[in-house]
Parts: sequence; C-alpha cells; structure tokens
Amino acid sequence: MCRNGSDRMAALFSPPLYLQRYQFVIEYVKRFIPRKVIDLGCADCGLLRKLKFHRNAIEVLAGVDIDCAALRERVNALAPLTIDYLQPSPRPLTIELYQGSVTEREPCTQGFDLVTCMELIEHLQLWEVEGFSNVVFGYMNPCAVIISTPNVEFNPLLPGLRGFRNKDHKFEWTRAEFQTWALGVCMEYGYSVEFTGVGVAPGQNRDVGFCTQIAVFQRDAGVSNGPVNNAVQMEPTVYRLLYRVVYPSLCDNNIFQRTLVCQVLYRAESLKREFELGEQSMQSDLTACAHSLPPDVVAGSTVVYRHRSHVFVPLQHVWTDPKVQALCGNIHRLRQALMDDSRVQLDTDRDAIILPDEGEEEEDEEETGECEEGNLTPSPVVDNSEEDWETEIG
Amino acid sequence: MTGRARARSRGRARGQETGAPGAQPPPSEEAARPVPPPSAEGELVGRGRQRRAPGAVASEALLQISAGFQQVKIGERGGRRRDFHDAGVHTRQLMEHVKESKTGVSGSKIELRANFMRLLSRPQWALYQYHVDFKPPMESRRLRSALLFQHDETLGKARTFDGAILFLPHRLHNTETVLCSETRHGERVQITVTLTNELPPSSPVCLQFYNIIFRRILRMLNMQQIGRHYYNPDDPLNIPQHRLTIWPGFVTNILQYESSIMLCTDVSHKVLRSETVLDFMYNLRKQCGDQRFPDACTKELVGLIVLTKYNNKTYRIDDIAWDHTPNNTFKRGDADISFKDYYKTQYGLDITDGNQVLLVSEVKRMGPSGAPPPGPALLIPEFCYLTGLTDKMRNDFNIMKDLSSHTRLTPEQRESRLNRFITNISRNTEAQNELSTWGLSFENKLLGLTGRVLPAERILQGSRTYDYNPWAADWSKEMRGLPLISSMPLESWLMFYTRRNSDVAQSLLQTLNRVSGPMGIRMQRAVMIEYEDRQESLLRALQQNVGPDTQMVVVILPTNRKDKYDCVKKYLCVDCPTPSQCVVSRTLSRPQALMTVATKIALQMNCKMGGELWSIEIPLKQLMIVGIDCYHDTAAGKRSIGALVASLNHGMSRWFSKCVLQSRGQEIIDGLKGALKGALKAYWKYNNCLPSRIIVYRDGVGDGMLQSVVNYEVPQIMQSIKTMGEDYMPKLTVVVVKKRIASRFFARIDGKLTNPPPGTVIDTEVTRPEWYDFFIVSQAVRCGSVSPTHYNVVFDNSGLKPDHMQRLTYKLCHMYYNWQGIVRVPAPCQYAHKLAFLVGQSIHKEPNINLDDFLYYL
Repeated sequence: MCRNGSDRMAALFSPPLYLQRYQFVIEYVKRFIPRKVIDLGCADCGLLRKLKFHRNAIEVLAGVDIDCAALRERVNALAPLTIDYLQPSPRPLTIELYQGSVTEREPCTQGFDLVTCMELIEHLQLWEVEGFSNVVFGYMNPCAVIISTPNVEFNPLLPGLRGFRNKDHKFEWTRAEFQTWALGVCMEYGYSVEFTGVGVAPGQNRDVGFCTQIAVFQRDAGVSNGPVNNAVQMEPTVYRLLYRVVYPSLCDNNIFQRTLVCQVLYRAESLKREFELGEQSMQSDLTACAHSLPPDVVAGSTVVYRHRSHVFVPLQHVWTDPKVQALCGNIHRLRQALMDDSRVQLDTDRDAIILPDEGEEEEDEEETGECEEGNLTPSPVVDNSEEDWETEIG
Repeated sequence: MTGRARARSRGRARGQETGAPGAQPPPSEEAARPVPPPSAEGELVGRGRQRRAPGAVASEALLQISAGFQQVKIGERGGRRRDFHDAGVHTRQLMEHVKESKTGVSGSKIELRANFMRLLSRPQWALYQYHVDFKPPMESRRLRSALLFQHDETLGKARTFDGAILFLPHRLHNTETVLCSETRHGERVQITVTLTNELPPSSPVCLQFYNIIFRRILRMLNMQQIGRHYYNPDDPLNIPQHRLTIWPGFVTNILQYESSIMLCTDVSHKVLRSETVLDFMYNLRKQCGDQRFPDACTKELVGLIVLTKYNNKTYRIDDIAWDHTPNNTFKRGDADISFKDYYKTQYGLDITDGNQVLLVSEVKRMGPSGAPPPGPALLIPEFCYLTGLTDKMRNDFNIMKDLSSHTRLTPEQRESRLNRFITNISRNTEAQNELSTWGLSFENKLLGLTGRVLPAERILQGSRTYDYNPWAADWSKEMRGLPLISSMPLESWLMFYTRRNSDVAQSLLQTLNRVSGPMGIRMQRAVMIEYEDRQESLLRALQQNVGPDTQMVVVILPTNRKDKYDCVKKYLCVDCPTPSQCVVSRTLSRPQALMTVATKIALQMNCKMGGELWSIEIPLKQLMIVGIDCYHDTAAGKRSIGALVASLNHGMSRWFSKCVLQSRGQEIIDGLKGALKGALKAYWKYNNCLPSRIIVYRDGVGDGMLQSVVNYEVPQIMQSIKTMGEDYMPKLTVVVVKKRIASRFFARIDGKLTNPPPGTVIDTEVTRPEWYDFFIVSQAVRCGSVSPTHYNVVFDNSGLKPDHMQRLTYKLCHMYYNWQGIVRVPAPCQYAHKLAFLVGQSIHKEPNINLDDFLYYL
C-alpha cells in the first residue's frame, strides 16, 4: 500500500521493496495461473498495472480501495493501449476498480482465485482485523490469498526510524504475531498457510527475518462456501464501481471474425499476387500456356487459378498460414467461420476464396469522371476588361 | 488520363482532400496528365513538416508569446507544448487599410455550413488562476496533486492543477486560502492557495484550457490519442490486402475566431499497420536479399513513426543500430540489464528473435522536471508497430486507391460523421458532467455562415477569349483547336525509346504531329534514337546525341522506375541544360486515349521551351507575383529545398524560377534572398523597369511557424529588395498560403449537401480577428470533400483592397499551365512546389542557370 512510506528503506533495498512485493505476486501468478485476481487496497494501482502486463491467464483483474481520489488519478494507466486494439489478445481481460472498505461484504468480490492484500492490514484497527479475516476468508473465500505486512522485528535495522514505519499504521506485528493470526484464520476458514517475505536483512542480521513478511494461504481442497455463479455480471451493491474496462480480445466474436478475415484475406491476396507474377513471367517468356482453365478441370483444385474475371484461392492454401491456423485450430472451423461473412466470397463448394481480378481496372476514370458536374446555373462570367484596380486604391 | 497518373502527379502534398495521403508525384509519368495541384492536407499524418526557426529567432518569438500569456503555459501532465495554432501573432493591427474591415464584396452570396461549433459559457464566466505553494516544499507533482485534492469541499470538483498553478471556474472566498494536509506518512503540509489572475473567456490561457478539457472529453468517449489527435479504436476499417488498419478520428482545436470562440473539428484518419517492424524487416529481407537489405531497410524505415507494444508513445525512427541486438545491455539505475531481460521483467514480454537489430529514436521530449533530453531511445522491432505509410506505399497506386475509397468522404458523409460526433458528446453523461462543472457547453450544430462566389474568369488565348463551366473549373475542352498565345517551333528535337516501345514511339510522334497543328505549334520530325533498357546506356545515348542546338528531348521510359527518370533529369537539368519530357510507355498504350495524352504532352513541351498557353485579365500594372514553397527531404539527411518562382510579364505567362538547397541549420529564406534579387534583375531585363508592386505568396509554412515568417522572413525579403537601389521602394505584400487546414465548408444546393463551387470566398466568422486572412475554395473535386486554402496576408503596404486581394489570388489559381483548369493555390506556388519537388526527389543539385527563364520542371 504505501510506496511513499518506503523512502528510508529505498537505500537499503534494490530493487525497492515495493517492487519486490509486486515481483513476489507476479511470480506467484506465473506459477499458479489464477484467472481472477483482486487486489485489496490497490491505492495507485501499481500492482494492477504490473499484473496487466504479467497476466499469464488472468481474465479478471479487480482493485479495491477506500480512497477514490487515489484510484481516479491513475485510471488512465489501466486503459487498453493502442496496440491492444491492433493485436487483440487471445484471452479476455476485464479490469474493474471499486471504492469500498475491506471490512464490508460485497458480492462482486466473491469467486476470485487470488486475493492480494499488500501492506494493508496494518492500516486497520486491531479490532477490525477479525472482521477483515471474516470478509476475506469467510465471505470472499478465494482459492488463495497473499497477505503482506511489515515485520516489526526488522525495524531496528531501518536507520532513524522511531515507532512504526508509517504514521497511519495502527500496529506492526512480529513474525510470531503474524503467524499466530494466520494460523488462526486457517483453522477457522479451512486454509493452509506458508510464510515467507521480501527484503533480506544485510550482513549477519539474518535472524530478524524479512523486512516485509508475507503469508500465502491456500484454501483446503473441497472446502468452499458453495459455488459462485461467475456468468452473471453483478452490479456492486455495497462498493461503488469507479471504472470498468473490457479489453478487446479474440473471445469477442466480432473481433475474432474481423481478425480472422483480415488474416485470411491478406494471405489470399498475397497468394493471388504470387500467382499473377508467375503468370506474367510466363507471358513474357512467350510460353504458350492456357491461363484460364475450363471449369471442370478446376473443381476441387488445390492450386490458385483464374476463371472468368476472378482469381480462386483454395482454402487449403490459405490454411498453410500459421497465423490462420493459430486462430482457427482446424480447417473446418475456418470454412465455417468464413461461410457467413460478407467480406469473404467463397465458391460453391466452399473450397476456395474468390477474389476479383483487378489487373487493369484502373483505366477508365476519365470517362466516368465527368458524371457529377453540378446542375447549378453558371454564375456570370466577369467582364473585367474595363477594370483598373490601381485607380481604386485609396 | 489514367487514375495512376492522377494519383501520382499530385505531388508530395496530399491528394484530393483526405484521399491519397501524401501521394507522391510522378517521377516518371509526368506527361500522362498534368494534374491539379495538391489539394488537401492529408488528414493522415504526413511527413516532412518544416522545422522550427533557428535558435535565436525561435526563442525570441517564444518570449513574446509567453509575455502575452502572462508567463503562463499550462500543459496536460505538465508537459511542454508547441503553439501549433500560431496564436499570439498579431499582424492585422499593423495594416492600416484592413483595421476596419478585411472583407471583400465581389460575387454572389452563398449560404454555407462550416465544421465549427460555438463554445457557450455562462455570462460573466471567467477562469480563476491560483498559485499554490507547499510548505515544506514537495518534490513529486503527483504528491502535490494528492495533497491539494484532499480539499474537495473547499475547491469543488472542477479543477485543473499542473503542480503549481490551479484553475477553478469559481472564485474562492478569500484571495488567499490556507489549507492543511497530511502525507501518508504523517508529515503535515501547509498549502497556500493565492488568487493571481481572473481570466476572461478569450484569454490565451483560457483557450489552452478549453483544449485540455476537450481532450479529456475525447478520452471519455474512449478515443485513443495517437500523436496530436484522437481516434476511435472500436470501429476500425481494415484493408487486409495491404495489412492496413484505419482508425477514424477527429482533429479538434478550440480557438478564438472572428466573432466567437469555436471548436473546429474535422474527420481524420489514422493509418496503422497490423504488423510489427520485425515482420516488416523479414518481408523486406525476403524481397531484396541479404545484400541490399541494410540499404533498403534504412530507406524504408527511417522517418516512419512507430507505436510500441508496452506504452502509448510514438517514436520516430531516426536510424537503425545495426550492431545492437536485444542481448545488448544498458544502464538501469546502477546495474546493467539486457534489453531482453528488461522487457521480460518490466512488461512480461518475450523477445523471440534475439538477433534482430534495434531501432534508434532521438527523443526530443525533455527529461523529468526540465532535465535535458535523455538521449536516443533504442527500440525492439518486435515490439514496434508501424503507423502511416512508407514512401513505397504512397507510390503504390493500388494501395492509395483502396485507402482513398475508405477515407475520402463526400460532403454529406463528412457532415454526418461530424454530427454523430456532436451527438456522442452530448449523449455522454460523463462528458456532459465535465463540461457542466466548468460551466461550458457547445452549440450542438454546425456553424452556418455566408460566403461569396467570385465570378468565373474569362480566359484569353491570343485574339480569342472563352469562358469555362464554373462548376467544372476546367477548360481543356474549350481550348481544343485554339492557337496558343505563343508557341515554340520544334525544329531540332530528339525522341529516345527502347526497342520494345518503338511502335509506341512512332504513334506518339504521329499523334503529336496531328495535335500540334491546330495549337499553332510547328513541328519538324524528331530524330528517333533507340536505347537499351539500362540506365547507363540511356545516359550514354543522351550524352552522345543531345547537343547545344537540341530544343527538346522526349524519353519514353519502359517502366515507372524512378532511377531512369532521375538520370534523365539530372543530366538534362544540371550538366546539359535542355528541356526534356519523359513519358512512361504504359501511358501511351491505349490508342483511344492517345490524342488526349499527346495534346497534353504537346502543351507541356511547349511550356518547357518557353511557349505561353493562355492568360487572364490582371487589372494591376508593373506587378510581380512571387511564389515560394519548399520540400523537405526527410530521408536524405533532412535537407530542405526552397524554390522561388516570379512572374516576368503582365499576362503571368512567363516566369523566373530558382531553386536553392538549404544547408543544415539555415533558413530557407537565406538562400532565396539571392533568388529574389535574380528575379528582379530578370524582370528588369524583360520590362526595362522594376516592378512597382511585389506580391509574395509563401507556401510551405508549418504549424507554429508563422511568427518566424513575420519576424524573420519579411524583413529579409525587404532587405533583398533594397539591394536593387536605395530609392527603389515597391509596394510589398506577403501572403502565407496554407493548404493543410482543418476548416471545411459545405454548400446546400437543391436540398443536397455539396462542395462549395470554385471561387467561393469566406472572410467572416471563421477567420481570425488578429489576422488579415480569408479562405478560397478554388478548385473543383470530383469525389470527396474539397479543401479550402487559407490565405493570411501577414504584411501589406500596397493599400490594395481586400476584395482585390481575394480576386487577384483567385485569378492566379487559373494560371498553372500544367492543368487546364483552376488549381488549389496561386500558380507560382504550384510551380515552386513542382520545382522543389523535382530537385528534392530527383536532381539533388541546383539546376543550371540557363534554365531559369523556362518552366522546364513541369
């Protein structure tokens, strides 16, 4: 939570401690591949921005903070980039930001795979911690929870520090205190926990532990507060939704179709170009060669061919493009997808893409160009042979 | 004419309206059909903008501007911004005769609609500017904002704060307000908010401020900023065969116009490419082989703008680091990190090709808090996406055709897009909230105004006169079979052709003979010379055959490959000054078009040798018109080329032309001073007197460059005139001509929205109060929306009435001999453009002075 508070620790750790905490979460995400992640106390959305890039399989990324000014300030940083539109990702991603308190129950926060809660609990009053545990573990009941908090045993190593690391901290725990609380939570809500941390003490002061202590909770198998219906898009009832953005992805049918059609047409057009170049070189070699085959020879053909004023590019050829394969998986799906698309014209057997043969069509602009002359009555032609502007200059 | 010729001949400047974004002109098909001059500024971002004035001038100009702003410049996120709108250049007040009125009277009135919307605000609206002081001082701008914004209840919701200056739409209770905040780690900070200024709605700071608010609104409409403009990513147009994606968007600016503050908005299109620079490199290497790859790659990529995968920034490729790969390291903090590791840890991006070379981009942006620029950025091709078009694509007729079919909008389509945009803003609650908290709104319809249609001109051709259809603005039919004003007899001329084209050459020769008779051109049989289809053999053939008596050289080129064309032009413009005419054989291949093509070629040849085609009445005597334009060679060392073309006779049918190559860091005008002197001497030679009035049309002035034209170029021009004699004091007028503008006008005719007719003048409402300026729609376009040209008279001691200034300007648009019709800019500007382009694209040297009195570059 508090990046600003880490000034005096900046000199001690490289990379800075908050980045190490982010990195810890990123590593976790890489290993356990959660789909839905929520960050409690997301402040300036630093972790969310990181996870947006290191998302692996994350499909929903949510953030909660009680301070809406802090959230608002950084909202633009979570918006899709230009490139996200140009190259839609294969996976969906939705980012949501809520204003709300972690001690309140909000239906939207249920059903997550991972809850992160970095440097948050120490900002709660001690008496609120139990309520917090109840909300996070009992109500939200995610598969995993990562909680980090300062390790007070480390404080003597921080130069010039008196009292807590931040004035807003209501408490700072020793490792034993943290672990006691964590194990209690595990008992009550059916989780198991591992302890670790970031920020290793310099020199031989190893026995004080990490500067930031971290507990990683896993929900015990089979223990769940019942199924949560992910499909229903719930509106928040307690929290306030401040921001929601759905990233363009190939899961959106329109986007998928558009991307596929573009790739297919690009491939088909380049095959057509190759074919035409081949034709031209044949012509210039003066090799007598029929370049327009009769239709019966042509049916089910696997080569590019010309018929009447069209070039036919077999789907088989288009299919060899790895990007098309990556999009469609198999050729039947490709055919299916192209069948109902008005941008692509298939032949009757649905084996080839028909492209217009536009070889020489660029010529006749002059003839058609004059069609749209206006029907306004011509304005009178000036007869200025008598005029002399010189005399009119004052 | 062939469509290709049209697309090509248009010059670097953009094609008809948005259509062809920066179509390149014809290196080799010049004859196909002389084509109307560049019409519009491409809305698609073009290349080769003029760079800023040299240091001294620029900083002086800036100082003046900021003085007018009370030393305040606000930027979105505290960035520095250039003044692209030339605000703060007040030229009108210095011209006595237009202080009262700068409007003309000629012509018939026409009701128009313009792409402007009035900004409405509450009566007595003002913006309150506060200075904000923190005690103890806070380094981070973000922290300062956070601390200040803890006081919502005092400041209200509407506010803009750049770290030091706060703007509010209302006055705080006291002139000085003291607030207390606490940082996250409990430090107490005292904030003093002091009122420093009350800004009226039209103050420059307010205008900047409106633009910032409007940008916020565009973001709320989910538009993406690319470069200076905003585009809609949700509704892309794809041209799969070329891998292009076009995003529709808008150019917007809010400025003080003649009578009110208005939002000017025009449809813009951004060309993006769905391939990475790495893909592009792979393809290129496949096409041209390992040997030629480095050269080809540099040529194609340098100057292009790329977008990166991990942020929304755009970078211009300035160079390629051939000796760098992603495995190279750079200093990050104290440690060295490889590019590969950096992108992996920072953005989770994997580099698949570890051997790709890196791109170099010089970062002009200042470092944090005014620190010097951080130096060149190295970019990974795999993470960069190309935007815009390469020169090769601009030259590809098919690409340009496909593109313009998407981007060229009829007036009706354009208007409906603009209206939809207005509706979207008014329906978006977030946007409306933003506007209303500031007490602002936009009139939700396009501005209506009255323009005037100047009468059509009568064309004089020797003893004959004729009129043209004012809607078509073209007299190629009317002049058929009429003798030209003067024609040069062709006695000794050569025609070069390859064996494959010998038939084409023969039929061209015959047809030329047939068409030249009625025009009054006497034509002897040309000497026919066959050359082998190789550059060296063509050059050898020229060297062996072109002699001092040769009047004209016609070369039939087998393809539109640029190298042969360049070779012909280089030799015949520099080494052996002879008028020449190149024709691509394909242009001659259609027998039914041959007559038309040959007619145009004959006219063009005649002009190049010093013949005159037609004229119009100019009711001013002893007048010299000067046109200036420049060409910026972005690829080859960023050298600029300036061209100056000046009239030598009353009929505006003879011109003196001069081209100078600018050396690095020098202003165009420094070189052109000598050219102007040369022009005056040539005028003397032809007229036995010096002109008593000189009117300079200066084209090629980039956004934000106006101040330097006024402060630097005008005095230089006067100085150059002075050198002709202390007592020589001609009347001088300097007009800045601008084609790349966002203003558009529509006329309603028979209940249908159309382009305004040629000759439409607009000199009210949408002009700027501090300028003596007007718009003219001079040309007719067949498809798409016509682009008006903006004329800004920045200096004028001639006393010429605004009406006459407008009419003279329009008359001059009739005098471009490479197009039998009205063009977009006065003929000398178009000539200057053509000359600069030829030199910049093909010759790269100053042409031989023996050619100065001819239109050899047509």
